[in-house]
Amino acid sequence: MSIGPEEEKPPLFPTWRYWYALVIGWLVLLIVLFYLFTKTYS
Amino acid sequence: MSSLDWVVLIATLAIIILYGIWKSRGEQSMESYFLGNQSMPWYIVLLSIIGTQASAITFISAPGQAYTDGMRFVQYYFGLPLAMVVLCITFVPIFHKLKVYTAYEFLEKRFDLKTRTLTASLFLIQRGLSTGISICAPSIILSSLLGWNLYWTNMIMGGLLIIYTVAGGTRAVAYTQTLQLVIIFGGMFLAGWMVVHLLPADIGFKQALQVSGKMEKLNVIVTRFDWNDKYNIWSGLIGGFFLALSYFGTDQSQVGRYLTAKSVKESRMGLLMNGLVKVPMQFLILLIGAMVFVFYLYFRAPIFFNEAQLARVRNTEQGPALAQLESQYSQLATQKQQQVKQLATALEQEDAAGAASAKKVLKQTDEQAQAVRAEALTLMKKADPAADTNDTNYIFLHFVVNNLPKGLVGLLIAIIFLAAWGSIAAALNSLASTTVIDIYQRLYNGNASPEHYLRVSRLWSLIWGVFCIVVAQFASGLGSLIEVVNVLGSWFYGVTLGIFMVAFYLKRVGGTATFWAAIAAEAVVLAMYGTEQVSFLWLNAIGCILVVVFALMIQPFVKPRTM
Repeated sequence: MSIGPEEEKPPLFPTWRYWYALVIGWLVLLIVLFYLFTKTYS
Repeated sequence: MSSLDWVVLIATLAIIILYGIWKSRGEQSMESYFLGNQSMPWYIVLLSIIGTQASAITFISAPGQAYTDGMRFVQYYFGLPLAMVVLCITFVPIFHKLKVYTAYEFLEKRFDLKTRTLTASLFLIQRGLSTGISICAPSIILSSLLGWNLYWTNMIMGGLLIIYTVAGGTRAVAYTQTLQLVIIFGGMFLAGWMVVHLLPADIGFKQALQVSGKMEKLNVIVTRFDWNDKYNIWSGLIGGFFLALSYFGTDQSQVGRYLTAKSVKESRMGLLMNGLVKVPMQFLILLIGAMVFVFYLYFRAPIFFNEAQLARVRNTEQGPALAQLESQYSQLATQKQQQVKQLATALEQEDAAGAASAKKVLKQTDEQAQAVRAEALTLMKKADPAADTNDTNYIFLHFVVNNLPKGLVGLLIAIIFLAAWGSIAAALNSLASTTVIDIYQRLYNGNASPEHYLRVSRLWSLIWGVFCIVVAQFASGLGSLIEVVNVLGSWFYGVTLGIFMVAFYLKRVGGTATFWAAIAAEAVVLAMYGTEQVSFLWLNAIGCILVVVFALMIQPFVKPRTM
């Protein structure tokens, strides 16, 4: 590896924190959608 | 199976083996054999991670799980995206920085040799046994379908897979997993489409969802907390988080996948994309099971999905009693066919009172059918006390073989093989790397030539392949295989994760305290499982916490660390 982990920029976003927020936000969204799905069809 | 199915099955498997052998060509070293020269882009890492986790058990048992227990099993994966984030922050940069072959090498750098060896040994025990079960799952299918001897089937199944794993190492494993997943996703999409397509003409996807929901199969989110309830949102988020962190952070079969990435960035992207796609993927697989349940409301289901087992009971003195129960079950199925039509009509007309009434009647009939089925299972046990009365693994297979068109049956059977091979190949590669790097090279022979280590690595891939086949011979009577694998993981994963947590976050705790804390925590975890105090999913969190607490308690009584 030629580049150290600290210097490596992620794709699309300026820092990795945005990617972490995206993954956690996506999980929250899925849980909300699944909850609505469960309620709608129960 | 028809001739066309056989052609599709054999051709698909042959393509994978040839592709694996082709990817094995060229000069190799131990670094290329175990790390693929750290050259993989993130999408290959992603597919390799998914292919390693999604075994045949995922595709056999998960639809059956949804059929019997509803879709709530998906909550088990809720902790996974959170674990991916923690891995990217903590584990990945350290593993890459230290340029390790295995996760356990890091433990010697941080603690000492005995802690590294203990953790590597726990992994070898757990992964060796789990991989044996992963071989057994598709073998059960083949033996049930073709009437083949299960023991010989296990040997043939494991033998084919070993060819490209031994020859090509991690590179062959990663590239075959990529091709396997393309075929798997295509085939599963076709299967899901066919389930809905085969429903009566007036029942579309929306109506099927409504019926399935009314029969409590779309229970994706369960908010009620219960220590002994395996699948609710709390056990999924907390227990699932610890399990996923342990599996992806400390299990060499997964660590070995993202260590093949060409940079920290590529490893992180592979893991984060896994965090984005894994939950929806499991949701869709379980949805197929929920649709299969609706299908069998409209079309008669057998009293027991393992037809071979059923046939054996028919030939015993319990045969006449079983025939009577099958007749009752069939009559109830006819009633259910009428009642589900009434339910669908009421739902279509948005007649809430009518739907509630139809649902109540249908559920009552279904409960009667379940009672008759329970009697049949008792008969089976009487006829053969060793009989496996859990048919969860046969539900999806039964649907595929009896209802899908020619050619697609062969493809679906091939998919089950490919899924098994993907996870088994990665497991064999990781078992070999841990044995060679953490045990053989470190403890017995540290000064041999690179060619010698490559030969030994291939030899250990072969030895572990044979060991796993032997384990597979004893795994067939263990019930729902997806649960067996998860239970096995819960015995060891929490403790292993605890060791890594101490390593990363408790700098003042040394190797001796951690080593004895791990031994004590493992004993407590096994005792808790034995006394059935909590659901197995919680053992991951408990094991991890116990190691941390015990290590903190023991540390004051041992000599301070010198670094």
